[in-house]
Amino acid sequence: MRLVFKQKKIIFGLGLIIIMIALAIFAKFICPQDPYQINLGEHEKLQPPSFEHFFGTDDLGRDVFTRIVYGARISISVGFIAVLISLLIGVLLGAVSGYYGGKADWLIMRLVEIMLCIPTIFLILMALAFLGPSIRNVMIIIGLTSWAGLARLVRAEFLTLRERDYVLAAKILGASDARIIFRHILPNALSPVWVNATLGVGGAILIEAALSFLGLGVQIPTPSWGNILTDGIYYVDSAWWLMIFPGLFILTTVLSFNLVGEGLRDVLDPRLRK
Amino acid sequence: MIHKKRNKKSLFLFSKLIPLLFAVLILYPQSPVFAQKNLQPSSGDAFVTAEIGDARILIPFLADDSASSGLCGLIFNGLTKLDRDLDIVGDAAERWEVSEDGLVITFYLRKNIKWHDGYPFTSQDIKFTYDLIRDPQNGCPYISSYADIEKMDILDDYTIRFKYKKPYAPALLKLGMGIVPKHILQGQDMRTSDFKRNPIGTGPYKFKKWKTDEYTVLEANEEYFEHAPYIQRHITRIIPNQAIQFLELVAGSVDSMTLTPYQYIYRTSGPRFTKSFNKYSYLSHAYTYIGYNLEDPLFKDRRVRQALSYAIDKKEIIDGVLLGLGEICSGPFLKGTRFYNEEAEGYPYDIEKAKTLLGEAGWSDHDGDGILDKDGIPFKFKLITNQGNKARQDIATIAQRQLSRLGIKVEIQTIAWAAFLNEFIDKKKFQAVILGWTTPQDPDCYSVWHSEAAQEGGLNFISYKNKEVDELIVKGNTTFDVEKREAIYKKIHKIISVDAPYTFLYFPYATPAVSKRFRGIDPAPAGIGYNFIDWHVSPDERKY
Repeated sequence: MRLVFKQKKIIFGLGLIIIMIALAIFAKFICPQDPYQINLGEHEKLQPPSFEHFFGTDDLGRDVFTRIVYGARISISVGFIAVLISLLIGVLLGAVSGYYGGKADWLIMRLVEIMLCIPTIFLILMALAFLGPSIRNVMIIIGLTSWAGLARLVRAEFLTLRERDYVLAAKILGASDARIIFRHILPNALSPVWVNATLGVGGAILIEAALSFLGLGVQIPTPSWGNILTDGIYYVDSAWWLMIFPGLFILTTVLSFNLVGEGLRDVLDPRLRK
Repeated sequence: MIHKKRNKKSLFLFSKLIPLLFAVLILYPQSPVFAQKNLQPSSGDAFVTAEIGDARILIPFLADDSASSGLCGLIFNGLTKLDRDLDIVGDAAERWEVSEDGLVITFYLRKNIKWHDGYPFTSQDIKFTYDLIRDPQNGCPYISSYADIEKMDILDDYTIRFKYKKPYAPALLKLGMGIVPKHILQGQDMRTSDFKRNPIGTGPYKFKKWKTDEYTVLEANEEYFEHAPYIQRHITRIIPNQAIQFLELVAGSVDSMTLTPYQYIYRTSGPRFTKSFNKYSYLSHAYTYIGYNLEDPLFKDRRVRQALSYAIDKKEIIDGVLLGLGEICSGPFLKGTRFYNEEAEGYPYDIEKAKTLLGEAGWSDHDGDGILDKDGIPFKFKLITNQGNKARQDIATIAQRQLSRLGIKVEIQTIAWAAFLNEFIDKKKFQAVILGWTTPQDPDCYSVWHSEAAQEGGLNFISYKNKEVDELIVKGNTTFDVEKREAIYKKIHKIISVDAPYTFLYFPYATPAVSKRFRGIDPAPAGIGYNFIDWHVSPDERKY
């Protein structure tokens, strides 16, 4: 644990993440305005940043700062929930595959290969075309399409760990397979999982932004960073604040998750430890 | 109806300039510069215009998107066309005769028309084209407009006679469809023929090159029967974002584009812009509406639809979305024509009336959760529109807020165009939809409002069925007397307005900007593009 906090990357990234999460949770207190409040007056629409509107207003006179802060809720929850889903599937399948080997392993690994063959973004676009775009579907679909790499990682860990003496000991003591997998092997196999999951949150936020940008993610008028960015492209020549601010928030958030992920890898991988 | 917007200063300049110009001309009658600049247009230069989306198919009777139709209009000629005042005049036909009973129309063709490959154009081509259109296998979306043709007789190479089964008032307008060459297309399958990407017509421009999603190039037809167009090349560049188009326009790499309302009002009034560009605004021939699926139990009650129409503030939408560049619409006909019923009141914003109507229909907030309900069912519906149309998305957002004041919960969903049409509209799987219709010159509205058009895949996808309207539509189609037709369509307008199957929103203004070096532009009820072959650039201002 001490090592974790020695990493400047982690501290920096974690700090930013905590700020973003705080924004998301305390959105109501930070921005007393309503993110859906439309003001169609002539001097309300497309106003540049000012003290009244930190990040300006959009073409319907909505406060961009408020929308970005509320958008943090969407983006961060999509990131976490999608990764949670992919963790559940990936760890479970990876563990089963690595622990039992044989036919189960063969089947799961072929499935993983199929998943990895198809570019994720196309898979997601296809699934969304069938299910229709909504926040819930976006979370689930990103989760369902991004577990394959994780399953491989977990399997590889299990392949080496299952040969250890303590596993043999547990077996001799008559522990059930489930107990051995979850109590004995999994805790030791988790370090690459944490790294992967942290990086995955950043990836999921990016995918959500991309989908919303394409109009396939979160539906209007719900604010998400991708949605706000889309509004911006219609005014790319006249209202820079509609593109720069949501872009900066996406960049910062994804960057901080990546920093934490890399920091964790440096700490957890003994080969990289100095 | 048409007004070219100029600021006061340039108007002032203009009024001063004209007498000055005359003075100069009188003083120097042989001045070569002025003669060239203003009197004798000469050929040269290219016109580069920007479009959001690429054309799809360059066969006039299969083109159903505006980009394709626009290019087809330059490449092909029909028997008739609309002039600057939207009156029907001859195009390939020099003149025509209509029999007393309206059943027989005889067209006399111009004799100096040639296909772009040099073949003479004859009445054979016309019969050939309308046979293709009327063959259901070819999938022409306008086929119903030609269903009443009984037969076509070729009297000689330059005379053709159309015989109709019953009188059909829009016939002359509908026979303006572009004619395709028999000598090339005979025996070919229209769906697989490469003609659709490599067309040969008779029009003022010849097709030259098409790079999908990048550009199309047309070249002047020097032998065009009216006169050779002055602009040598017509280039359409595909730039899928109007903000980018604007940057290209100002940089000079594009000569013309359609401005967004924001650009029209805020970005184009400074001297830097007005020095090099003219902008125009005129009522476009299209309206935007919110349509309700009448098969949905929520919208079966007329009072509910009327209430929604009262509760949606069209003025606020026009100001919010179009920055005022539009006019309120109350019915399905083209505003400014005699068929549009100015007396139909429509639904001026009135939230109290809306509440009363909903109350009468049984909708009120019984459980006190802020949302209207009836028999325990809350008033909630999904409003869909197509992706990538910012104006429609903004309408959805504004309408959602306006209806929430009434206690109605609206959920918005935007869907990609193809899926939107195929999965939702054609199959009638929607509750409410934001869409637009173009309003043709002829008021015939069979394909949108007749109950026959309500079958799956028909344009009456909201399933509007009103016996009286059905009868009036058929009557309007078979009546030639303009005054009588006017009365019929005004009545249809009134009935549809009262039934409120749509909330009619607005007619937007078309707002094109064109580089000032193009002269001869004459804004008229038909817009600005109708006399493109007369546009010209003086030699000292040419760019290409």
